[in-house]
Amino acid sequence: MRSGNAVEARAVERVFHSRKRDIHALGPVDLDVRDGEFVCVVGPSGCGKSTLLRMIAGLVTPSAGELRVRVKDGRPDAAMVFQDYSIFPWKTVLANIRLGLDLAKVERREADRLARSWAAKTGLSDFLDAYPASLSGGMRQRVAIARALAPNPQILLMDEPFAALDAQLRQVLQDELLEVWQADGRRTVVLVTHSLEEAALLGDRILVMSNRPGRLLADQEVPFERPRRPELRATPEFVAFREQLWHLLRDEVRSA
Amino acid sequence: MTTTSQESGNEQSTEGHLSFRPGPGDRQPAAYARRRRSFEVAIAFVAPISFFALWQIASTSGWLDERFFPAPTTVWSTAVELVRTGELQESLAISTRRALIGLAFGVVSGCAMGILLGLSPLWRAALEPFLSACYTVPKLALLPLLLLIFGIGEAPKIVLIAITVFFFVWIATMEAVMSMPESYREAGRSLGAGPWQAMRHIVIPAILPQIFVSIRLSAGVSILVIVGAEFVQGGDGIGYLIWHSWSLLRAEAMYVGIVAVALLGFVLGEVVKWVGRLLMPWAPRDAGRAVM
Ligand SMILES: Nc1ncnc2c1ncn2[C@@H]1O[C@H](COP(=O)(O)OP(=O)(O)O)[C@@H](O)[C@H]1O
Ligand SMILES: [Mg+2]
Repeated sequence: MRSGNAVEARAVERVFHSRKRDIHALGPVDLDVRDGEFVCVVGPSGCGKSTLLRMIAGLVTPSAGELRVRVKDGRPDAAMVFQDYSIFPWKTVLANIRLGLDLAKVERREADRLARSWAAKTGLSDFLDAYPASLSGGMRQRVAIARALAPNPQILLMDEPFAALDAQLRQVLQDELLEVWQADGRRTVVLVTHSLEEAALLGDRILVMSNRPGRLLADQEVPFERPRRPELRATPEFVAFREQLWHLLRDEVRSA
Repeated sequence: MTTTSQESGNEQSTEGHLSFRPGPGDRQPAAYARRRRSFEVAIAFVAPISFFALWQIASTSGWLDERFFPAPTTVWSTAVELVRTGELQESLAISTRRALIGLAFGVVSGCAMGILLGLSPLWRAALEPFLSACYTVPKLALLPLLLLIFGIGEAPKIVLIAITVFFFVWIATMEAVMSMPESYREAGRSLGAGPWQAMRHIVIPAILPQIFVSIRLSAGVSILVIVGAEFVQGGDGIGYLIWHSWSLLRAEAMYVGIVAVALLGFVLGEVVKWVGRLLMPWAPRDAGRAVM
């Protein structure tokens, strides 16, 4: 693996075998994600974006090609934030955030301290002892993000993390993620999203995928300086860039 | 419109319009709900009280044969007598012990089998058809066989209960594991959970509510089974007390036994519910009541 890359995909494909027929879900895909880079992936539904993330997380293996991911202790040094609330209803907010540390057998006091500090950064300090059932959707996704970050993975994988939230809340969480990530020393992130605005605000680079089987149609650098502020959204450059992205994607969405 | 409903207020028709106004339930919801609740509790007593009153009258006035249908007051004094001699407590203790031991074995083996088959398609393919076929075998019919295998001590009765309970818990657990959202397990794996850690932190808590529903059902069933088994075999326990009283034409003692069994089942069910609430503080209160 070339140093400086957190993820390298070479002609990676994935085929799912279902009872009736084989589904060619993804690829071939070639992709390098540099350390510390924030990459956003956009593409039509069903084009294999989640499959790509799950492969990077080590939850699914490629059917062809090779995928190299930075490891720690023999498994991908990556944590995943899922779209649907995959936080555990039977654990309090604190216990959810602490889970990755507990599983790694981090000493209890240290694990508590780290979990509390992530809870504070994601605005959850007042809810440490609450169970997820009593939280709003936005709060739950904050828990999911804090839980993924607490074990300090080198790579953060996010699969449409805000898709289930209403538009205002989505914007609030995007702003928070931007702030947390920029303050956090630039962890590697791969974020799948349907929102071009989200991709343009957060990403260093945007990958546009084709219809299934998903291949990379475009690899677009985002021209905005870091650190960015949420106000960027309202600038004419931002609006123009978002339009440009939409042109790239439009034909694929139409023929989907 | 002449309908007035307490919940939704008055509806009055004025020249082709309907007007809706707050009713008592809307104006003072808290007080209304409280009154409503006390009323519901009160009417819950009406049915049993009338039942016993009618029975008392029918029995003392001679409409019913007092040898078979002794008056509730007679049954009560017999109960007091049986408690004084210790006969009732002793029978209840013996049966409860059998039921609980059998329940414990059944729950543990049913959970283990349910998790194994729920997680592993291979084991499911190997065992599910066979176990499903066994499920419908009437378990009480196995008692003679169990007596042959285990002799006439406590073992055959306990095994009978364990077998019965096993199937309830096995099916509920297996279904719960299989219907567990995939994302729970994936979230665990992506956080680095090994198989045993996933079992402890994810699989077991995820299926615990359904397991407890099946334990509540099983607690009732284990009482039914132990009473049935004591009818036909052995010389102690609450089932024996009921059956024996009947054959000695001591109907009042039989009724005491029947009521005691009903109470025992109720208490056991409440204990299971209470333990469930302790173990599952995240679940809404009385989760699973709707399922029962
Ligand atoms: N475990 C699976 N078994 C069978 N088919 C799957 C599985 N996971 C995904 N697929 C199929 O692969 C395709 C890509 O899925 P996914 O990666 O979820 O797409 P996206 O996230 O881009 O919407 C879809 O057609 C989906 O039905
Ligand atoms: Mg997806």
